[in-house]
Amino acid sequence: MTATAVPLAVRARDVLTSEWTKLRSTRSTYWTLLVAVATPIGLSALVAVTLVNAPRHGAQVDPLLPGLISQEYAVLAVGVLGVLAFSTEYSTGLIRITFAAVPRRRAVLAAKAAVIGAVTLVAGEVVAFASFALVQAVLSGHREGVSLSRPGVPGAVLADGLLLFVVATMGLGLGAIVRHTAGGIAALVGLIFLPAIVGLLPAPWGGRIGRFTLLDAAQQVTALHPATNLFAPALSLLVLLAWPALTLLAAALLITRRDA
Amino acid sequence: MIEVDQLVKRFGAVTAVDGLTFTVRPGHVTGFLGPNGAGKTTTMKVILGLDAPTSGRALVNHNSYQDLIRPLHQVGALLDAGALHPGRTAEAHLLSVAQSNGIGRRRVTEMLQLTGLEAVANRKLKGFSLGMKQRLGIAVALLGDPPVLMFDEPVNGLDTEGIAWIRQFMRALAADGRTVLVSSHLMSEMAQTADRLIVIGRGRLIADTTTAQLIESSTRSDVLVRSPRAAELADLIKARGATVNPEEDGGLAVTGLDAPAIGDLAAEHGIAVHALIPRSPSLEEAYLDLTGESTDYRAATPSPQPSSPNPERASTR
Repeated sequence: MTATAVPLAVRARDVLTSEWTKLRSTRSTYWTLLVAVATPIGLSALVAVTLVNAPRHGAQVDPLLPGLISQEYAVLAVGVLGVLAFSTEYSTGLIRITFAAVPRRRAVLAAKAAVIGAVTLVAGEVVAFASFALVQAVLSGHREGVSLSRPGVPGAVLADGLLLFVVATMGLGLGAIVRHTAGGIAALVGLIFLPAIVGLLPAPWGGRIGRFTLLDAAQQVTALHPATNLFAPALSLLVLLAWPALTLLAAALLITRRDA
Repeated sequence: MIEVDQLVKRFGAVTAVDGLTFTVRPGHVTGFLGPNGAGKTTTMKVILGLDAPTSGRALVNHNSYQDLIRPLHQVGALLDAGALHPGRTAEAHLLSVAQSNGIGRRRVTEMLQLTGLEAVANRKLKGFSLGMKQRLGIAVALLGDPPVLMFDEPVNGLDTEGIAWIRQFMRALAADGRTVLVSSHLMSEMAQTADRLIVIGRGRLIADTTTAQLIESSTRSDVLVRSPRAAELADLIKARGATVNPEEDGGLAVTGLDAPAIGDLAAEHGIAVHALIPRSPSLEEAYLDLTGESTDYRAATPSPQPSSPNPERASTR
C-alpha cells in the first residue's frame, strides 16, 4: 500500500489510537480523573446537608445546585489534565516527535481533544448522575428532593455532566496556546474564575457581563429555576460551549504557525 | 534523498541558516558538520517540517515534509534523545509513536529487541540513562523502516561502547542503500563514520565534499625537508616559485613544490637531504581551517582541542 492510498478515516484512527495510548500511559491521567470524580460526589452530599440545615428565609433551595457547586472544584483537576496533554509535550520536547510523525498538527489537536473530551464527558456524566442520586437522597429526607422523572431534570443533570468536558477541552486548547504547564494552568484558572468576580458588580452590570462567564452559564444550564438576569438556558449552553470552542480555534490557528 | 534548496531561516534578527543548498544521497553516511550554532539543528528541523523556512525549501524524496502521509515510513529522525515523557514506559512511548503512523505492536517489539531494550521495555523513562534514551530514539527513527534517516549529534554524551554501537549502526544503514545524515560539531567523530561531508558555518555552506577530498584540498599540505645545507636549498626552492617556512628545529616546510621535485632539485646541486616527508593535515585540521572564520564564539587564545587529540600529528610538528 502506498502512503497516498491511506484513507483519511484510517489516518484519523491512527492519530486517535496514538493519543489514546499517550493518555492511558501516564499516571497523571488517573490521578486527575480520580480527583475529578471522587471529590465532587463526596462534596455534593456535604453541600446538600449544609443547605438543608442552613437557616433560610423563605427562599427555595434549587435541588440541582449542590451537584454543580461541587463540580466547580473538580473542573480544576480535569482542566489540568487538558493543559498537561500539550504542555508536557512542549516542555519535554516530545512535541517534535509528535509533529514529525503527524505533520498535520491540527489532526493532533483534534485527536487530543477527542480523546480527552470523551474521557471527561464520561467522567462528568458519572459525577453528575452519582451526585444527583446522592443529593436527592439527602434532600428527600427533608421533602425537598426531586425525581429524575420530573420534566427538565434529566436535561439539567446531563448538562451538569458537560462541565468537566468543557473545562478539560478548554485546558487542552490553553496548553497548546501557552505551551507551559504553569502558564497554562494560570490562564485556565484566570479564564474560569476571574470573570466570576464581575458577577459581584452592582446590578445591572453583574448580570450583563456575568451571563457570558463560564460558571454563570453553567449554573444557568443546570438550574431547575434559572436566574432571570442571565441568558435563557439554551443560550447559556451555547455560551458554555463557546469557551472551549473559541480556545481550541485559537489553538488551531496558532499551532501551525509556530515553530515546534 | 534530501534536497535543501536556498534555505534561509531567521529568528528575529538572528539568521540561523543563510541560503543553504545541498543534496544528501542514498548509500552513504553523510556527515553534517559545523561548529555549535552553525545551523545544523535548525536545518534538520526545517527538513522535518518542524520549523517553517523564512525562504527556500527542503524536500525529502522530492516531497515537502508537510505533504508526507505516514512520514515515519519515509524519514526517521533522532533530534533530541531526552525529549520524552518521563512517566511513560519505553514500550508505551514507542507504541504511541508507531500507532500514529499505522505501525503495529509487532514492529514495536522488534525495534525494542533490535536496540537491546526489551528487558527495560516496561520501565519508566525517567530511570533511563542517556545511552538507553539514545537507543530508544533510534528505535523510534527505525519504526517505519524509512529510506531516509537523520541523527542530530547522536554520540553526544555517550560512552565508548555506545559510540561504537551507533557508528556501526549508521554504516550498516547506509550500506543498506539508505540516506543517512548525521550531524556533529566534531570532525574527529565524523572521520570515522562519514564518507561524505557537508560542512557549514554561520548558516552557510562551506564544503560539500568527500572526506578524502577535504584533506587533499586543505592548504596545509606541505613537505618537510631536512638538510645540512638547509639555507642553500631554501634559496633554490624559492627560486622555483615555491614557499619555504623554516621550522624551529631547522627543518623546512615547503608548499608549492612536491617531494620528488624537491629531491631532484637537491640532487642536481649535490645537496644532501636527510628527510623529505610529504605531510597532509589531519581531517580535524582541515576542518578547523575551513570553519575557523565562521565560528561564532572563539577562544581568545588558541588552546588545544581537548576533544580531538591527534598524537601522530603532534609528533611530526
